[in-house]
Amino acid sequence: MLSLNNNAALRNLSALVDFSNLINSNLELEFTLNNLLLTCFGKFHTSKGLIALANVNDELIVKAYKGITPQVLKNFPHSTLNAIENNNELKNFLVQNNLLLSHPIEASGKKIGFLFLGRRLIGKDYDYEDVEFIKTLVNIAASAIENSIGVERLKNVNRDLDQKVNQLSSLFDLSKEFSSILEIERVGKLLMYSIIGQLLVTKFAVVTCEDGEFKFIENRFPSDQLALALSDCRKDNFTKPVYGDELLKEFPSFNSLGIEMIVPMQIKSETKGLIILGKKTTRNNYSKSDIEYISSVGSLAIISIENGRLFKETIEKQRLEKDLEIAQNIQKNLLPNKFPQLKNFEISAANYSARQVGGDYYDIVPLDKSRTLVAIADVSGKGVQAALLMANLQAFLQSICKQNIELSQASNLINDLVSENTTDGSFITFFWGILNDENKSFKYVNMGHNPPLLISEGKISKLKLGGMILGVMPTVIPYKSESVQLKKGDRIIFYTDGITEAMNKDGLEYSEERLEKLCLMHELSGSKDTLDLILKDVKEHADGAAQSDDITAMVIKVN
Amino acid sequence: MADFNVTTRGVGPVRVIDLKGYLDAHTAPELEQEFNKLIDHNDYKVVVNFDELKYISSAGLGVFMAYVETMRENKGDIKFSNMQDDVFNIFDLLGFPVLYEFFKDEKEAIEKFNQKEKS
Repeated sequence: MLSLNNNAALRNLSALVDFSNLINSNLELEFTLNNLLLTCFGKFHTSKGLIALANVNDELIVKAYKGITPQVLKNFPHSTLNAIENNNELKNFLVQNNLLLSHPIEASGKKIGFLFLGRRLIGKDYDYEDVEFIKTLVNIAASAIENSIGVERLKNVNRDLDQKVNQLSSLFDLSKEFSSILEIERVGKLLMYSIIGQLLVTKFAVVTCEDGEFKFIENRFPSDQLALALSDCRKDNFTKPVYGDELLKEFPSFNSLGIEMIVPMQIKSETKGLIILGKKTTRNNYSKSDIEYISSVGSLAIISIENGRLFKETIEKQRLEKDLEIAQNIQKNLLPNKFPQLKNFEISAANYSARQVGGDYYDIVPLDKSRTLVAIADVSGKGVQAALLMANLQAFLQSICKQNIELSQASNLINDLVSENTTDGSFITFFWGILNDENKSFKYVNMGHNPPLLISEGKISKLKLGGMILGVMPTVIPYKSESVQLKKGDRIIFYTDGITEAMNKDGLEYSEERLEKLCLMHELSGSKDTLDLILKDVKEHADGAAQSDDITAMVIKVN
Repeated sequence: MADFNVTTRGVGPVRVIDLKGYLDAHTAPELEQEFNKLIDHNDYKVVVNFDELKYISSAGLGVFMAYVETMRENKGDIKFSNMQDDVFNIFDLLGFPVLYEFFKDEKEAIEKFNQKEKS
């Protein structure tokens, strides 16, 4: 009997040694738990068992089971580690499944889980010795379990770390690449590849918000439906990542498209674009770290997209500048480049546009041996639209000059022609006249232009006669012309309102009075000197203030 | 600038793409072009041989995601073979093994396509 007991004790001991060696040879939790169950099965002839361990929230989670179907396992009740004694649901579950024995698993003086075993197939109950043996087994297993759990946690931490490292290297890779590309389409494509590669999504869109409008850069959702969903939103609706319940509640139309995540791309906390994502193909939810990654890539991309946009704008602007430069040259060529040499008249003129191209115009056209036409005009408005109309006027004037029509009739004609081409209330103030080099007479028609100043013997008279402003409506009342007889020493000053309305920094205009006074003061000057005097005086008045209107002046001196 | 090279060869009805060097945001467009060419020729059975690939970034991984649906919709697939451990670790980390088949050797991957053909 004694030897029998000794034999049994020896068997127990060797089983324990075997078990100890086995489970300490491996750090896999599953291996340890399975062996604990199998050892118990072999020793006590039972065919059912399960091991539940506490998770970080102290909830019992089944980690290993044998002889129990997964269906049954689904009914394993929720229980915390310490509430197990009073948990009737758990008690019922154990009774129903014949799990008669429960034994706590303790490591480092702390309960970490439970071992449950079914009834012994040989019909005997677990006796005191059995329980003692189980206690010893569990004690041996406990430290191995604790080690395995530690290793498992470490593995998870490592994996999380690896994922972070991977995300960082992806960000690094992208930032390198984004900084060197300016095509928005390519940025969008790379952004998309990185996100779908990193997060395993196949449904996604990248949109930019510009001037309150959403524009697709990349889109794998049905375009119409996404556009419709976006049309209800303003970019300010998206100031932080939206997902889960919030997405469901605030943006139901997106949710019905299968969209699970909307992350804004921001520059200086202003939303400039959105990354819109569907479900991950792995069926996992987006983790905090995923969202951080998307936000980071988004920030990188949007800066690149913004740079691309600015670059495009700059290119476009440069092209326009180039165009305007060409237009400027063309316009310069529309003005006379050399002045005719006349017996009795000395003519000087100057023209400065406020912008590259302008609406001021003057011309000097020899008509025949004795007669020369002079003209000055100011097209309403500024810039390109004024320049186009100016070019139109120049063409009409040049062709009318070839036709030898009487001046007032020619005025009726040019008004009819220009009226047909003006829209949106644009008009031209226009003055023209014919110098006769034989008899020193000057015949003119003024069509709403600032009256040129005729300075004769210290007195100023203004050349006002004519008619309606040019281009407002077809000629109804014929234009009147006037002929004035000029004498040696007389001067005529033609100008546009860019001269008299030139402002200084205080908003004070140069004024007609000042122009008249200046002209009277220097009565003996030649035409070029008078012109220079006027331009210099206007410049002095402006005193560095920006030129806001085109400036044109012409001076005729009678010799 | 890191080197990258992509070439395609035919093995029966299967196209094998050989990747070499560094597949990152900079070089991903080259792989994209290769896939576009395959689709233009209606070649949807693709094995990617990673034997000489040293590094892959998310942008590179994204290219496979972007084309796999097209291949599968046309009764093809993208299968991976001959991957070095550190490259596989990146795929594994991001959960690719759930969605793609990985083979030790290119022949096994091609064989898998051919088996399906017969059955």
